[in-house]
Parts: sequence; structure tokens; C-alpha cells
Amino acid sequence: MSEHECTPGCGHPSHGAAARAGEELAQARHDLDGEFPASASARAMAAPLIPGSIPTAGMLRHHFLPASDKTVHWGHFSAALKPLVEADSGDFVTIETLTHQAPDDTERMVRGDPGAESVFRWDAQQKNVDRRGAGPMDSPVGAGGGLGAHVCTGPVAIKGAMPGDVLEVRIMDVSLRPCGNPQYAGRAFGSNAAGWWGFHYGDTVEEPKKREVITIFELDATGERNWARAVYNFRWTPQTDPFGVVHSIMDYPGVPVDHSTITKNYDVLKDYRIPIRPHFGVMGVAPATSDLVNTNPPSFTGGNIDNWRIGKGATMYYPVAAAGALFSVGDPHASQGDSELCGTAIECSLTGTFQLILHKQASLPGTALEGLTYPLLKTPDEWIVHGFSYGDYLSELGANAQSAIFEKSSMDRAMRAAYRNMRHFLMTTQGLSEDEAIALMSIAVDFGVTQVVDGNWGVHAIVKKSLFPDRGA
Amino acid sequence: MDIRHFTTESYPRQQRPHAWRDALAGCKLRCQAIADDSALHGSVYASTLGSGLEFIRVASCAQTLSNMDGSAGVVWLALQLQGDAVFNDGNSSMPLAAGDIAHGPAGTHLLMTQAGDFRQLLVRVPRPLLESRLPAPLPARAGQLSGRSGIGRVFANFLGSIADSLETLDAGQMLPIELALTEFIAATLCVQEPDGSAMSPGHSANFFRICQKIESSLSNPEASLALLARQERVSERYLQKLFESTGRTFSTYIRQRRLERCRADLINPLYARLSISDICFRWGFNDAAHFSHAFRDQYGVSPRNYRQESGAELSRQLLRQISRGWPLGFAEPAHKRGARAEATPSAGAAVALREPELADVRSAIEIPDHGADADGTARHHYLPANAHTIHWGFFSKSLAPVLEIDSGDIVTIETLTQHASDDHERMIQGDAGAESVFHWTRERKNVDRRGAGPADASIYGRGNGEGFGVHICTGPVYVRDAKPGDVLEVRILDVLPRLSANPKYPGRTFGSNAATWWGFHYNELLTEPKPREVVTIYELNCAHGDNCARAVYNFRWMPQRDPDGVLHSTIDYPGVPIDRDSIVENHGVLKNIKIPVRPHFGVIAVAPKEAEMVDSIPPSDFGGNLDNWRIAKGATVYLRVGVPGALFSVGDPHASQGDSELCGTAIECSLTGVFQIILHRKKDLTNQPYADLSYPLVETADEWVLHGFSHPSYLAELGDKAQSEIYKESSLDLAMRDAFRKTRRFLMSAKGLTEDEAISLMSVAVDFGVTQVVDGNWGVHAIIRKSLFEP
Repeated sequence: MSEHECTPGCGHPSHGAAARAGEELAQARHDLDGEFPASASARAMAAPLIPGSIPTAGMLRHHFLPASDKTVHWGHFSAALKPLVEADSGDFVTIETLTHQAPDDTERMVRGDPGAESVFRWDAQQKNVDRRGAGPMDSPVGAGGGLGAHVCTGPVAIKGAMPGDVLEVRIMDVSLRPCGNPQYAGRAFGSNAAGWWGFHYGDTVEEPKKREVITIFELDATGERNWARAVYNFRWTPQTDPFGVVHSIMDYPGVPVDHSTITKNYDVLKDYRIPIRPHFGVMGVAPATSDLVNTNPPSFTGGNIDNWRIGKGATMYYPVAAAGALFSVGDPHASQGDSELCGTAIECSLTGTFQLILHKQASLPGTALEGLTYPLLKTPDEWIVHGFSYGDYLSELGANAQSAIFEKSSMDRAMRAAYRNMRHFLMTTQGLSEDEAIALMSIAVDFGVTQVVDGNWGVHAIVKKSLFPDRGA
Repeated sequence: MDIRHFTTESYPRQQRPHAWRDALAGCKLRCQAIADDSALHGSVYASTLGSGLEFIRVASCAQTLSNMDGSAGVVWLALQLQGDAVFNDGNSSMPLAAGDIAHGPAGTHLLMTQAGDFRQLLVRVPRPLLESRLPAPLPARAGQLSGRSGIGRVFANFLGSIADSLETLDAGQMLPIELALTEFIAATLCVQEPDGSAMSPGHSANFFRICQKIESSLSNPEASLALLARQERVSERYLQKLFESTGRTFSTYIRQRRLERCRADLINPLYARLSISDICFRWGFNDAAHFSHAFRDQYGVSPRNYRQESGAELSRQLLRQISRGWPLGFAEPAHKRGARAEATPSAGAAVALREPELADVRSAIEIPDHGADADGTARHHYLPANAHTIHWGFFSKSLAPVLEIDSGDIVTIETLTQHASDDHERMIQGDAGAESVFHWTRERKNVDRRGAGPADASIYGRGNGEGFGVHICTGPVYVRDAKPGDVLEVRILDVLPRLSANPKYPGRTFGSNAATWWGFHYNELLTEPKPREVVTIYELNCAHGDNCARAVYNFRWMPQRDPDGVLHSTIDYPGVPIDRDSIVENHGVLKNIKIPVRPHFGVIAVAPKEAEMVDSIPPSDFGGNLDNWRIAKGATVYLRVGVPGALFSVGDPHASQGDSELCGTAIECSLTGVFQIILHRKKDLTNQPYADLSYPLVETADEWVLHGFSHPSYLAELGDKAQSEIYKESSLDLAMRDAFRKTRRFLMSAKGLTEDEAISLMSVAVDFGVTQVVDGNWGVHAIIRKSLFEP
């Protein structure tokens, strides 16, 4: 929804970026040349890495995509979703994202926020966003079956993007969404739900063994105080949604929690300071299929990667699978640990500013992006590749992929995928031989657990940029 | 399929007996008496299938258990996997050794007394599942089936492999197992004790044989009374009588058996593509309509509906199993690296107390004075590495200490990398200590034993110890007054690289990285030749500034003949001298790549209490080969003491390693460490973060690092075969679960959080990483930042 097209100097938050867009772009192209040195021959070809992809500086635009019931798709991806904005390669876009956990505490996370109110509005008469998930509309738990939980804003189409291309997404800025309720001015809130899909579920030491617990966290909306603290927690009790369906477990997103049915425990995690790492759990491009795809399992097109390093200053590279790429973002997190053990992070609405750059397939051979089959992340100091139990689970697992993936979760497979992807990265971008790549992985690449809760489990591999010779000059 | 798993590892020591009893009660087992509450360890893995069939694997210590499931509709079997037991059904007592199967009808009052550490697989079979499939009734009393020979042995092996694979079998895979199980029960239990009816033993045996024959003829539509009588050389009339004496006619029996087979196939995902007609034709029906009728008569539901409902139930079950893992040992090299060893260690264990160069060391490092004895008598010892002060490839509680110290003392310990022989000229030549350790000629091999394997190399013939364990460990150091249950705090005050002693390389330090057959990459290489092992030699630049390592050259491993004449075509034995003429050095590898060094010790251990000789490769609760690069200068390791004197050893020095140690080794590089060792008595542990310790805990300046393993205490858990099994059961999924449980326990016991607080904190602020995937017992660590707790 291109409700507003910014021009330099129009006064949006994080607008300085757009004003300097031309300058930045020149720098960006220079960086690209430097960041992907590859072999000597690859370098020679790297100069025209993205020919014709970015218009001249003066034509860059800045789009603004607020979150409302008209601009979100909830719990599903699809190549058939209608784009809300058509961006040119190089354009900036500021996107508001909402956490699907906001109705855990409507007072703190929905009330007084027109965007959130429009998305979460659900009473006996009206449910503004009916489909939540990729399941059937007549599912007993609610439309869409809750097969996919995340409120995603988008999609944004990138002109000319075709399957086989690579989309580069630079995260220029990330800011917390201030609470709209005047009672909590200046603050922001998030929710952490220890759900039935968590790694811990059923393996607990206290009774009842199978329980779901939600902890509400408070943050400083200005981001100046860079840590979060817990406000209270409560055990999930069966919630009757406005249409009368009883949810005895958290089986459907956005069910408003009736606070008269729960017991709040204050003083939880007393005096604990959780350093914040604002980032987007879900970010990516559409799958190849026009079917609806559950947002929970991540895949080679990105999606719910749940890596806290995908925050401000980071750049993601995604293989494009559908025409127009169809970039969406959602599942905002204030903080998460590697593994996202209990099923969620501090789920907390955020606004991000992104620059989208298209790399056409024809320009890829000989560059570092050639043969990219996994989402690649670049931070100021590191390169990070992602491996999943199944890299392309929709193709690999056949007709029942969307349920089979939840049965086939495995860190061992994800570790193997991360190994293969890191080997590919080192051999392609750094021009190393296989033996060099393997030695380097053992002595200087750190493998970590991205998440063990999204069906398609993730292991990432981190290599420091400082290892490699500085070829940027 | 309903899965329950439980381990006492999740609980602080004092809560374990209670939690254990609860967990057993959940499996309808009652724990009557535990021999020693304070030493209780136990795990249960239970899986209940849709049909009601239950598999329960219990591993624990000496205790008496009774079976609380008194419902008459169940038959139970118990395979003793490890340990000795006696079971009593109220009438008589019968011994049960590993490999034996006890069995009985439900309702018998059963007491199972386990003499020591044990593992057992308990199977409960609902009678309805059996009855229609059994050729003869089951015995009315409990009994014992020897697993030593014949069909009993095959059955025991079958159950044993189920026990080992429980975690990895999904509901679909359980179906054929369920079928085979009833066949085994029929083959082993029915035949033994014909029911007390009119049938004589001779007839009973005939009857059983004929039933087996029928089983193999079910798919033949022509199978008839006449045909079978002819094949079995008995008269048709005899056959008919035989069946009548069991209350069935021949034709009802064969129809029931065919229906059972069809019913099983209908819900078996393997045959999901076969039509219902296809399935009934498979089992000897030649008319689908007739089959449909017979099926409905027997089970009260049409085959079509039966199939749909079961299919839907199966999908629902699969969806619920969101946290289940991949089969163990996925794509792991199937090498068997462990073996039991003879009782007495033979490596040199002479006491070598020297304190030279002490002044140098003192001036080089700053030694804090905390932790010293009240009278300030903390001493500084120096433990050089030589053939007399190291043990190679194994830990043992029987090793004679090479040094005795008091709590608070400081020890400087030299460690040598076992990979020094990859480049003798750079890493051994001219270095008296290294030369003494690595000396190996046809006449003399200074350190003969390398590994925990047999001294006569009777398994693979690789050499003494068989290379079952590869690390050169310096020690053990005896800590006075240390007793089992105490905690040893090991502070790493300093770590210094060992300089090359070859005058050709003055002031320089070298290391070696070997990409080996036990690496994660080995079976999955892109380029030829496949497979291959590659050694890369590095030089460390520590002294002059950038603290980085750079590759010097690499070479592909070529078969090496050791001085005793054994040919090592892979890197299967440590310290084999390399014939330089056999290899090709490739210089210019990893050109311009700088690897920041993180000097640390791969192995840091106290002696394990469970076994005499323990392979140094798999890490466990006693520490050992943790391979975490955070165990470096400034870090402190807390280890639970297992044997008197603790017997502390350190080795496997690394210049740098990444999380996962992917190719099998780090930059293996000799180092010298300065350690302060402080003993915390069991009685003084209260309220300390390390009070409730059954795993290696690491503290760095900013973090707590907890280590989880595929098997948290593998020697105790896996029993007699632990040292080989551990290599087969590697899994990050299990290690992640262990790391989760330990982190929860740490946050709850050491930080006083509730379980819900701990779980939330883990998800939002604790980082889990892959420690290593190459040491058999794979590792996942959890990093808890101390800043979380600082208000």
C-alpha cells in the first residue's frame, strides 16, 4: 500500500537515510565490490554486479507502509498475494510491523494504537483480519487454522524481480513501537509466550507438566534504556474467542486474553535486565507456489528465520522464488536467545526502514551471489549462513510438506545444512578450495543454534569478516 | 504415539528420589526401595502407541521395582539390557541376567530387584492385540526366557534394538515392529507351555508348527486344510481335530489371521498407496466384497472407514510431535572407536616433581593470592610434559599421580599436542619434553599405550591402546583431601604457547589442523579424491602483535608405516611419525587469511569413577574433551570430583577452534597453562553456583557456560557398551535437550528462579551453540550472560 511516497526531506522518522540516498547508493555499490571479492576473475566481474538494477540517484523513492488490517497478511505467504507497493531496486521502504502476541495484553499493546486496533479488532460481529494461517477457512479453531502465526506487513513487489534473482535487503533502522495507551506513555511492551510448540513443553519439572505461560515485558520506547524487564506473567487459561470457540491451548493467534480469567504474578524475573536486540523474526520473499504457505517454518526464501542478528545494520540476501520477489516482514522481536527455546522471543511491535536492491540472475555468475540457495546474512563484522533441517522443505517433503516438516525437525540435519552452506559460501565468495574451507570451518567458524521451535529447525554458521584479507580498497 | 521422557539430571540432588518415584508411577511402576538415595540417577523413556502397546526403557541404579499395572488385559515382557536382577512373582524367585527376558500376565504380583546399575526395556502388550494372532494361549504364570541362544537370543536382540532406537522410531515405523513383536511372542512364549488342556506336548508342538506354516501360507489363496495336511504329512482329520481342541475351526482360524494381516496393512503408511482390494489380495482373499463383509463382522467397522480414521489419527499424532528429533547418528561415520580394556593401565606414571624455571613463571604471570590456605602456604608447582608425566588417550582412576598438591596451590602444566608429529621438524625436534613423549623407533616407543583399547591391539592391530582415545594429557595431579562429591575449581590464570625448539624456527610457534575421518565433513566431500584426510600446518603470531595464526602449508594424508611396521592408511593412531617423502606439501593455502587465536585446552578432566580405562575422546560429566574454546585464560572450570584425590589432568591444547570443531580437530598446538586449583568440600557447597553440579560448569569474566551432551553421563547411562555405543548415538538433538535441562536447573537452583521464569529467560536471553560434533558425545552449550543478574 503505497499510501505515501516520501521525497527527500518529507519528515518521516529515519528519513535522513533517504535524503542521503544517492550518496549511500554509490557507497553501497562500492561496498558490494569490496564485500564480495571472490577470486580474481570474480572480482573483475564484480564491478558491474548489478547493472541497470538501480536507477540514478535522484529517482530513488522512500515508501511508507503502515500496519493496518489492509496491509497485513496473517500467518501465510503466497506468490499470489497482491503487492501493496511496487518498489524499484534501490528504493527505501519504511514498514510498520505488529506482533501477533499483542492481544496477550490488549491494554498495553493494542489500545490507543489505530494500526494495531484495526488489525486485532475482533468482536462477535466483526473480525477485521479473518484468515490467520494457511489452513482452511472453516477450521474449527478459526479461519486459517492458525497454521502460521505471524502478522506480516506487505508484500512489497520489486519491479523486474524474477525467480533466480537475488534480493538484497538492508536494514537501515529499527525502532520500537511506542504504546498508544496514554496510561503507559513513553513505554513499549512485549510478550514472551512459552507455548506448546516450545522445546521445553512436556519436559518440565514443576506441575502441571503441560502448561503455557506468558510473560509481559516492558521496554523504554525511545530505546535509550537498552534493556527490558518483566512486568508479570500468567498461565494460559482456556480462552473463549469472540466467536465462541474455546482455546484451551494457544492454538490460534490473536485471541484476546480475558484478563479476568488469569492470575497475574508480579515480581517475576525481579531485577533481571534483558539486553534488547530488536530484530525481525520473519523477513523474506514469497515462496514459488501460489498456494498458501504456513509462516512458521523458515525456508530458503527466508521467512521465520528467528535469528536475532537480523537487526539494524544487517543485510539479508534472499534467492527470489516468485515474480516481483514479494518482500514481507513481521514477527518483530525485542530480544531473543539463540534457540528461541520456549517458542517465542520478546514479541514486540517494531518499525523498520529497509533498502531493497535487486540483483538480476544474469549479473550473478562470477559473483558471490551465484548459486545462492539459502538466506545469507551480513552484519558489520560477520557473515552468517543459515542451514535448516530441510532447505526447501516444500519441495523436499512432497505433498504433505506443511505437516511433515513439524515431524522431521532435527538439529543434526540443520547442522549438516549449515556445514554445506558455509562451505559453499567460503568456496564461492572467498575462492577457497574445499580443503581450505573445511579447515577454516573447524578452526574459525562458530556454529550456533538459531531455533528449535519453528518446525524446520535452524543452525547458523558465523564467520568473522576480519579473517579475510581486506580487499575493499 | 504418546512419548514421555524423564531424567533425574533435570533435578537438584535432593529432589531426585521424589521426582524419580513420580516418573515411575507415571509408567505404572512403583519404586519400593532405592539402595542409595544420594547416588540416585535414572532415566525413563516411554512410548505408548495408539494400539495401547507400551515401551518403557528404564536406566537407573540398585533398587527394587514393582509392576503396578494389575489390569488383566495386559501381558508384559522385560528385557534386561544391563545388570543383574532377581524377579519374584509371589511364588518363586528367578534370576535375570543381561540379555534375558522375563515375562508374565498382568496381575501377577511382581518384584524386580536390581542389584546395581541397570537398564531394562519393559513392554506391555494389550491382550486384544495378541489374542487374535496367537496360535496357542500364553502361559498363566510369570517366567523367564534365556537370551543366550536360539530364538530367545534373536528375540532379545530384537527387543534390544528397539530399546536403542526408541527415540527415533515414529508411529509409522512402530507398526511393523508391533507385528513382528506378536510373532516373536507367539514363537517364544506359546511354544514353551501349552495350556493345560487336553493337548499333549507332542500335539502341542505339531499344532504350533502348523500354525507357523499357516502364517507363511496366508498370501496363498489356495491354502486349504487339504494342502496343509499334505505338506505337513498329517491327515486332514487329525488337523481338524487339532484345531477343534482349541475351540476353532481351521477355516475361521485362517480367516482371522488373514484379516489381522490386512488390518495391519491398512494403517501402515508403507502401503498407503495400495487400494483396499490390493491389500486383501495380498493376504489370500480373492473377493473384495467378501473381505469387506468379513472385516466388518470381525472389527465392527468397514475397511475403508477403519483406514481413514487411523490415517487421521496418525496425522494428528505426527503434528503433535513437534519437538521430536531425527534418527540418531544421522550420516555419522559408522566407525566403532571404543572398546573395553584390561584392568591395569600401563603407561608411565612415575612421580616427577620438578620446580625449575619457577622464578621465570612467577615473573611472567600475576598470581592472585585468593583461595590460598589460611596460613598462606600456597605453593607453586611445575609439571613439565615428558614420557613420565603424561598419559596418552585415556583416563583412569588407577593412574598413579605425578604430582600431589593442596587446595589453593598453583600449578604450571605443560601440555603437548598429539598432532606435533604431523610436522616433527617444527613441533618436536629439539624439544626435550616432546622428543621424550614422541620417541618411537623400531627399538623403543617411549609411550607405548595410546588409547584405552587393549594393549595387544587385538581388535584392529593399530597399536597398544588401539588409539581409542588420542589426547596427550599431562597428569594426573592428586589434590589432597579431595573426595568424591567435592567440587574442584580450576582457574586458568594464564596460557602460553610453546615455542619451537628447533634453532631453525627461533621464537616461533606451530600448530596442526587435521581434517580427519571422524570429522563431520568426511562422508560428504565435493571434490576428488573422496574421501581424504588433509593436515594443515599453521604458524601462530602471538609474540608480535596481531595474535593471529596463518596457514603454512597443507598435505593430504598418505598411508604411513609406523616403526613397528603397522600401516596406517587413515589417521587411526596418534603420534605416528610421518615419512616426509610420502607427502606433498602445498604452500600458499589459505593465503592472506588471518585466524585470530583463542588458546585453550580441549581436555580438562578429573578421573571418571565408572570404569577403569576410559577413552579420552567423548566428554562427559567428569569433563574431559569438552573442546570449548572458552576454556581459556581467565576462565574457571568447575568439576565434580569422582575419585579420591580428584586426579586432575589437562591436555589437547588448541590455538584456535570454532564452535563445532567441524573437521575433527582445532589448530592443535602445544601450550603451557598456569592453573590454580581450589577444592570445595561437599559440605561447604551450599548456596554456591556450583553446589548442584553433575556436569562441567565454566565461568568466564562475563558469562556462565553450561555443557550439554548427547548423553550427559554416558559411562553410567549406556552401561557396559558405553565406550562403543557413545559413538553410535551422537546427536545434537539429544545434546540440545540436555543443555536445556541443565540450564533450567542452574537458573532454578543457583539463581532461585521458578521454572516459568527460567524457561522464559532461556528463550529471550540465553544463547545455545554447537560445542562440537566430532567427539562421539556431541555437545551443545548454553551461554548465560552475567549482566542479566546485575541490577
